[in-house]
Amino acid sequence: MSLEMELAITAFSGAAALTSLCVLLAMLGTINPYHRPEVPSLGALAVIFVATYVVATTHDVEFGLDALRLTLVEGALAIIRILPLAFVFLTVMLFRTSLRKRPEDPLLALLESESGSV
Amino acid sequence: MSPWALQVWLGFALCIIGIGMHRTGPAFSRHRFGAPVALLGLALMLVHTHEPPEPEAGLVLSMIDSLWVAPAVFGFALVLMGAPLYWKARPATLLAGWLLIAVAWYVAYPSIAGTSLTDFLPALTALPGAVLALAVFALCVRTAERMVPPEAETEPLTEKEQRYVESVLKRHLGGDSDES
Repeated sequence: MSLEMELAITAFSGAAALTSLCVLLAMLGTINPYHRPEVPSLGALAVIFVATYVVATTHDVEFGLDALRLTLVEGALAIIRILPLAFVFLTVMLFRTSLRKRPEDPLLALLESESGSV
Repeated sequence: MSPWALQVWLGFALCIIGIGMHRTGPAFSRHRFGAPVALLGLALMLVHTHEPPEPEAGLVLSMIDSLWVAPAVFGFALVLMGAPLYWKARPATLLAGWLLIAVAWYVAYPSIAGTSLTDFLPALTALPGAVLALAVFALCVRTAERMVPPEAETEPLTEKEQRYVESVLKRHLGGDSDES
């Protein structure tokens, strides 16, 4: 396997595992009596498990805690490497937002007309 | 695992939990502990008395090299507050936001210009990886929701409830945060 292919697989798996870990932690931070976290948690854990297995196989590392740490760190590093792209995208979006006019709110107009008619 | 590596992961967990807490609604009254918990997590990740082992050391170094993200995030927040999105435009806030974004660009440019295409292109595969994880999560949420038996149709709002909803909408979507 070429080095570029290995890097791409590691970045893909790492980002998938890191995103799933973020999902799990965000569910923990927002837990409430109406949550049904069992199925989403199992799904996120399955993604982390498969991604760690893929990275462990690609890097010839034993499947375990060290492989999990490597997977998550590689995912975070890949995301940090593409942050400038997100920065360019957000700068353009916010520039357009800064120039636009505030749209009329049909909901507020409806409320005004209804309270005026009562 | 070494305690310094554990500190990095504990900080990461607190940071994401804090952001999650902050995102719990309603939008006009965020969780008061969300931001402090997230900042505590970030500090735990970045501030160490001993250097963490590999691979966490590389992550911490990379995060410190990307500190331009801090002025960028504050700048984006100020621009969103100053732009005519939720209320009338606030030129001073908007200008302060764009100044911070300009500072972030000034700091980030040397590292962005130094990035090679061979580093950048494989990292792009992180995007479909993250999308895949979110798609699996969305499918799991849909499955969990479909497992719940449908509830009986609710009664329409009473006149008192209608007035309450109307007052909430008027207070929070009033169009200008200075109006009360």
